[in-house]
Amino acid sequence: MENQEKMAASMLHRMVREFTENELAPLDMEIDAQGDYPQGLFQKVIDNGLLTMTLPREYGGAGFSYDSVAKAIHLMAIGNASMAVTLEGHFKTLEQLLKYGDQRLKDEYLTSAAHRIFAFSQTESSGGSNPRGIATRAVKSGDDWIITGDKIMITNGGLAQVYCVLAKTEDDQMAVFVVDQDMPGFSFGKREDFIGLRGTPVGEIVMDHIKVPGYHLLGQIGQGLEIGNNAHDDARILMGAVLTGIMEHELQIAVDYSKQRKALDTPLYELQTIQEKISEIAIARQNTELLYQHAAQLKITGQSYAQVAAMAKSYGSRAAVRCGDMALQVLAGYGYSREYPIEHLIRDARAMEIAEGTVERMSGEIALKQVNQ
Amino acid sequence: MKIVVCIKQVPKSDSVKIDPKTNNMVRDNVEGVINPFDKNAIEEALRIKDQLGGEVILLSMGPDGYMSSLRDGLAMGADRAILLSSRAFGGADTLATGYPISQAIKKIGGVDLVLLGRQSVDADTGQVGPIVAEYLNVPQVTFAEELRFVDEHTLYGQRLLDGATQSVQVTLPAVVMVRSELNTPRYETPVNIQTSFEKPIDVWTEHDLDLDATRIGQAGSPTTVQKVYAPKREGRQTVQLSDDSATAVKELLARIRN
Ligand SMILES: Cc1cc2nc3c(=O)[nH]c(=O)nc-3n(C[C@H](O)[C@H](O)[C@H](O)COP(=O)(O)OP(=O)(O)OC[C@H]3O[C@@H](n4cnc5c(N)ncnc54)[C@H](O)[C@@H]3O)c2cc1C
Ligand SMILES: Cc1cc2nc3c(=O)[nH]c(=O)nc-3n(C[C@H](O)[C@H](O)[C@H](O)COP(=O)(O)OP(=O)(O)OC[C@H]3O[C@@H](n4cnc5c(N)ncnc54)[C@H](O)[C@@H]3O)c2cc1C
Repeated sequence: MENQEKMAASMLHRMVREFTENELAPLDMEIDAQGDYPQGLFQKVIDNGLLTMTLPREYGGAGFSYDSVAKAIHLMAIGNASMAVTLEGHFKTLEQLLKYGDQRLKDEYLTSAAHRIFAFSQTESSGGSNPRGIATRAVKSGDDWIITGDKIMITNGGLAQVYCVLAKTEDDQMAVFVVDQDMPGFSFGKREDFIGLRGTPVGEIVMDHIKVPGYHLLGQIGQGLEIGNNAHDDARILMGAVLTGIMEHELQIAVDYSKQRKALDTPLYELQTIQEKISEIAIARQNTELLYQHAAQLKITGQSYAQVAAMAKSYGSRAAVRCGDMALQVLAGYGYSREYPIEHLIRDARAMEIAEGTVERMSGEIALKQVNQ
Repeated sequence: MKIVVCIKQVPKSDSVKIDPKTNNMVRDNVEGVINPFDKNAIEEALRIKDQLGGEVILLSMGPDGYMSSLRDGLAMGADRAILLSSRAFGGADTLATGYPISQAIKKIGGVDLVLLGRQSVDADTGQVGPIVAEYLNVPQVTFAEELRFVDEHTLYGQRLLDGATQSVQVTLPAVVMVRSELNTPRYETPVNIQTSFEKPIDVWTEHDLDLDATRIGQAGSPTTVQKVYAPKREGRQTVQLSDDSATAVKELLARIRN
């Protein structure tokens, strides 16, 4: 059985590698330049079942374990980080439905998760790092809830059809509801013009007195922040994986270039200054991989993983930006050119110092855990 | 439609090593993958099944390690697989490969279509398909770049040859060897990867087949490899032989002897 799981995981990883090499990597530069996925690309992702990776078998999914899926996201990010983040947003949201959702909600919604994208929306103009500042309201009306508010900067906003929404009840308790784009009163707002991860749509949803059935509540009233934090923890593991992929890409570019390019008669890789940069990138890549894999192992074995997941994203995001800068310096003038992907890898990595909790907030979380241990 | 797809596992890298003593391929410790053309054959079988319904059965002859390629084929969407595996089959040449494969196809029974790759990328002979067709005594289409059903029993095929294409029509059951131009093989999907472990892979030995034991394995192989080398490519003139087959054979023999 264990052997079978290993074989299946290695088949999954080979499939994702092939898909990435054939379908995503060749479009990486184009996706960045156009600021969107080319027509039909996302449909290919759906048609090849990539939305089903974490989804349990009983809902029509493949039911791979979180560590195997994190590795798949890592492999995809080597070719294109935007699509890897699109999947990250979907998978972290599914985890919350699985953990906190009513059975009726799961039966109704998870069975569509193989071809519909799910997203998690907390942020508002009045509340980013500090979600207590949100203004979205959920007002009880019989068995239903009436939700009104405006959510911004949602990963897959506009692409996703199902949204987990953090809202405040009349007595100021926090709760998460599942809202469907087909519900009356739902509309999409503006898409962010972000500097990196330019394929991933990040956008706004507007909810005008949307009537949501009672069983669309995740967990209990008052559990909203806990669910939001849990979503962050699950996301951070996968972001660690994305960042590992970005660093692997940076490393490949630096290594290849250092073999081709000569300083007079010496290939670049023979120069100590270049070796130092290559080794730093390799070490940071390896560290981030170990961190996200360890966090995933803790999660699948039922241990607490929030701390290590935060480390994976906090360390990984800063490292990937710094490593991008080092790789750029290896290529020097060419690295500074838009003709090479390094500058966009730095912009891509930079998003993850902000999304799913800023690195500053994570420093706080990590430090307090150390102090209180 | 009952379709059998014959697949061979080949070493992943292009750098196939030959043992200088035995002139055989060194097959230890190399990762095996499905012969690329056989993936086109699986893809075509799955498309035909999508269109006409039926069953896609994978068939391979080789050691235990071939299981992983059969599993890959199942993860593309095939229904079940059979591995012909036993020491007795070892060291077979193309004839001693085609013979047990054709006996296995007879045992499966009721097969409408047998699909194979145009050739393997390691041994490269392209002989197994025609041999299987002859043993089954059914029509064959080699080098198929396009396939279409005219009706339930008739298959139209376009053959892509060196500098020419040829259109043929065959009545089922038939054997078809496919080219990579035919289609683009699908990816395995995450769900199909998981279900591939629930699909059966039966292992058949020589005892499970109705076989003449002197015609299998190394002992049953009339050819042995003497030397492997790249042939010189020389342009020659094409000669049209007489229409009368008896005369044509005589003409051909005369030319080969010269
Ligand atoms: C690519 C991308 C994708 C995103 N996807 C989503 C999504 O799917 N869903 C969603 O809800 N949101 C999403 N966001 C929004 C993201 O979660 C917020 O941007 C983030 O939480 C920070 O909030 P803010 O931008 O309002 O900054 P602020 O909270 O205003 O922070 C401003 C600065 O103050 C610091 N700061 C604020 N509070 C503290 C504190 N308590 N401790 C220490 N420092 C503090 C911050 O670190 C930062 O440097 C995404 C953002 C990006 C860039
Ligand atoms: C130098 C050399 C050394 C060799 N050494 C060995 C050896 O050590 N051990 C050994 O076992 N063989 C060895 N063989 C190969 C053996 O003779 C052939 O692999 C086998 O008979 C199939 O021939 P082929 O690969 O040319 O297939 P081709 O006729 O080129 O293949 C056409 C199609 O037939 C089907 N097919 C071919 N083989 C199989 C199979 N086994 N099961 C199912 N379908 C199949 C596939 O669909 C394939 O695409 C060697 C061959 C050469 C040239």
